Amino acid sequence: MTLRQLLLSTWDWNLLLIAGCIAALFFYAILCKLKFSGKSVFFINGVVLFFVALDSPISFLAKGTLFSAHMIQHLLLVLMIPPLLLLGLPAPSHRPILSLASWIKHPLAAWVSGAGAMWFWHIPAICDAAASNEFIHTLQTFSLLFLGILFWRPIVGPHIEERLSSLTGILYLFTACIACTLLGIWISFSTLSVCPVFMRPEDPSVSPLIQGWGLTPALDQQIGGLLMWVPTCLVYLGAILFLLYRFYRQPGKVVSFPSKEKRKK
Amino acid sequence: MNRTSSPPSVEIFHAKNRENNFFSWIATVDHKRIGILYLLTAFFFFGVGGLEALVMRLQLMKPNNNLLSPDTYDQLFTMHGTTMIFLVVMPTLIGFANYFVPLMIGAKDMAFPRLNAMGYWFLPFGGLLLHFSLLAGGAPSVGWFSYAPLSETPFASSPGVDYWILALFALGIGSIATAINLIATVLCLRAPGMSIRRLPLFTWMVFINSFLLMLAIPALNAAIIMLFIDRQLDAHFFLPSHGGSAILWQHFFWTFGHPEVYIMVLPAFGIISEVIPVFSRKPIFGYEFVAASTVAIALLSFGVWAHHMFAVGLGQPMDIFFAAASMLIAVPTGVKIFNWSATLWGGSIRMTTSMLFAVAFLLQFTIGGLSGVTFAVVPIDWQVTDTYYVVAHFHYVLFGGSLFGVFAGIYYWFPKMTGRLLSESIGKVHFWLTVIGFNMAFFVQHFLGLMGMTRRVYTYPDLPGWELLNMISTVGAFLLGISVLVLVWNIVISLRRGAIVGGNPWNAWTLEWATSSPPAKHNFDQLPPLHGRRPLWDLAHPENRDEPDASREKLKETKMDKNKIGMMCFIASEGFFFIMLLIAYIFYNFNQLTNPGSQWLNPIKTGLFTFCLLSSSVTYWLAEKKLETGSQKGFLLWLAATLALGGAFMAGQGMEYWELFQKGLRAGTNLFSASFFMVTGLHGLHVLIGLVCLLIVLGAALAGDFKNGKTAMVKTVGLYWHFVDVVWIAVFTTIYIVGVRT
Repeated sequence: MTLRQLLLSTWDWNLLLIAGCIAALFFYAILCKLKFSGKSVFFINGVVLFFVALDSPISFLAKGTLFSAHMIQHLLLVLMIPPLLLLGLPAPSHRPILSLASWIKHPLAAWVSGAGAMWFWHIPAICDAAASNEFIHTLQTFSLLFLGILFWRPIVGPHIEERLSSLTGILYLFTACIACTLLGIWISFSTLSVCPVFMRPEDPSVSPLIQGWGLTPALDQQIGGLLMWVPTCLVYLGAILFLLYRFYRQPGKVVSFPSKEKRKK
Repeated sequence: MNRTSSPPSVEIFHAKNRENNFFSWIATVDHKRIGILYLLTAFFFFGVGGLEALVMRLQLMKPNNNLLSPDTYDQLFTMHGTTMIFLVVMPTLIGFANYFVPLMIGAKDMAFPRLNAMGYWFLPFGGLLLHFSLLAGGAPSVGWFSYAPLSETPFASSPGVDYWILALFALGIGSIATAINLIATVLCLRAPGMSIRRLPLFTWMVFINSFLLMLAIPALNAAIIMLFIDRQLDAHFFLPSHGGSAILWQHFFWTFGHPEVYIMVLPAFGIISEVIPVFSRKPIFGYEFVAASTVAIALLSFGVWAHHMFAVGLGQPMDIFFAAASMLIAVPTGVKIFNWSATLWGGSIRMTTSMLFAVAFLLQFTIGGLSGVTFAVVPIDWQVTDTYYVVAHFHYVLFGGSLFGVFAGIYYWFPKMTGRLLSESIGKVHFWLTVIGFNMAFFVQHFLGLMGMTRRVYTYPDLPGWELLNMISTVGAFLLGISVLVLVWNIVISLRRGAIVGGNPWNAWTLEWATSSPPAKHNFDQLPPLHGRRPLWDLAHPENRDEPDASREKLKETKMDKNKIGMMCFIASEGFFFIMLLIAYIFYNFNQLTNPGSQWLNPIKTGLFTFCLLSSSVTYWLAEKKLETGSQKGFLLWLAATLALGGAFMAGQGMEYWELFQKGLRAGTNLFSASFFMVTGLHGLHVLIGLVCLLIVLGAALAGDFKNGKTAMVKTVGLYWHFVDVVWIAVFTTIYIVGVRT
């Protein structure tokens, strides 16, 4: 297989996925009553990115060939797509679309789902299972997306009053960055294989190509770990700067925790 | 004070004499006096470190010189580096922070005045420990970053390194204490109207810097504790010949070391951000950008340490990612440079000495910053690492940057601290001597480095051009020495004859200028109204306020509990420390196929004692509940139960240690035993401290201290106790559940 073939012929064109994406856009159009705004760009980009993450060669390589490709997919699903979707959502009307239990809305639960999404799916046995079993892979995909949405709700969620105050939000993101850094350090420096499936790719036709790049499994894992470590923290840093921007833009107005009186309502 | 006893006859107990007595300076808890003590101590060590540098420059004046022996030279550069970083730059900046942060936010003092005094006294103590090595068989001679295995016993057998470790540990404790204090001060003691959005930039940067201190120093502490265990208990953490890893030392050290670079420069940025607007008669350009870029720098600084290690051979992916991150950190720094330049643009600039230093800072720091970016390019780094190019770079950052900022601060704030202006004419002499001397001394070192002159070698061969450039550098260094004498002269003369000034000689805008010079002990008689970032401007120009729209001022500041904030910060710092220790444990034990010793661990038995420790958290929680409902007896009962359970845990750990000792396991036996005893031992030490705290709570309870509802102490100790338990969960999971292989 050549690089050209890899980039062109490994797209999945899964009908279910395409239908799902179109349905999401359709649903979105209904939700904002066909009044598209600048915000819509975020949502549409989120859906496109979701399609790319699950349909492109990234997805092909992530299924047991390249650990670093898996990591890109993983990070797109937790870190990039959820905030884009959330930013694109119109301000909610009175009736919540998705009513979540109150404990799941708690920032601590949200934080744990974000960090947990990173750690849980990199326990060696579970990581292996997800990369080799189609069902578990799908489960992984949707759990990552769901956990990612939970994680980003307190920062960019559509319910303004449920967002964290900017300075608390910075703490929230900073600690999340530490959690990912530790995982990234472990993956990069571990001499053991985090996800042994990637040591022996199922599709032998790709192996010569990858070996041609000089990518050994150890190197591949190191890149994966570094992806979890450096770019991830840059995303959090970007979000922190965004929060600071929001903080300084609203002088005198305090965006605070949902106070107890509001919850009673 | 006990009022019933006879009136004290000693003079210092009389209020009048207490004010300006020598002992009153030792016993002081006034943030202004502590600030001055910091500055004076740092200035003293600046003299010491400077003399060390001058002796080194004499040695390097000509090729093949033998003024100094290689070993003396090694000791000198180690002491020079350690002194300048830990005993000069950090305490100077902390001293300014101590003096001016409470003033700038309109507070009476720091959040914890006595903790503040403790933080200061660790500085002379650390300085003494470091210099005591001279009497104990020679100063450390392994460089300020003490690379292992050179710093291990086989290669550095004199106790110099041990004193270096103890000194750094003492200084680190002091710095963390002050950092926590500053954070609590900024969060809890701001005057009404001084919202976080309106913090003067110096305060903001000190605030962010305090987080860096709080989180970076634990990494150093973990590293030096491991080195100390290596040296004192014959372990081999960093000795590759016995299976240890010298590279781990580098990782740990630079995890601290790179944030440290920003620790030494962020408060200087803050000083510059105060000085430039005042002497340009303009508000700072893009306050938000300067403030936000500080946060970006602080966060990025934790993620770029590996660029100090490109020459180690970490592998290509590592190099690429860290090169990219290292280049990125130049962006927020560049943003600041542009903001300062834009503040100058179009302003009516007053070239006072303070402003001169600030402008020189801009130029020199930019040079240092740019040469810093070149290290992010891996091949260039390989070429110039360990040469004088590096020496030139960090002197441009630390002297041309930090110290020039400090000088700007001295000229700017001296009238506030003493009530007298520093002489401007002597100041100009000082400035020009410093600029010329500094650039002569260090600019040529760029060329020397590129020509291949290696740092830390006591002499050099007679190659073309080297002697001339080194001579220029030495002459420059001596000009710098003279410039410091000029500064001392200026201070001495001005203290006696300087022009007496009022509260606000520079027409500045921040709150510290709203009180007399020097400020009264309680800082402010009355605070001006706070409507914006420049309260004194608003006061003088009520028709032209910075934030004219008063209707938007619905400030709903939540009152924060300083005890809670302080304890949370301490816990965060300690948490980082234990994360580093656990990383070390995992590093030494999880990658090895065999785990000699870990088969003797008994997870079930230890699990039992773990249960004791965890339930002690529950009993403490119950005790707090009882206290809330007012049941003194129930509180005492549950508190005693907590103590008993904590004691049981300690007894259990003692038993486990005894059994392992019986089997011949010592700290120095192998890497497992060393890391096991280190992690569990340090945790045990924390439990012990917790138990002592609980005993104090018990004593206070028996004395009836909590009957009036003042339960801050109970809550604060509770936080610590729960933290100790959480750490144990992590330790137990790592060592006894995941780590044990049968």
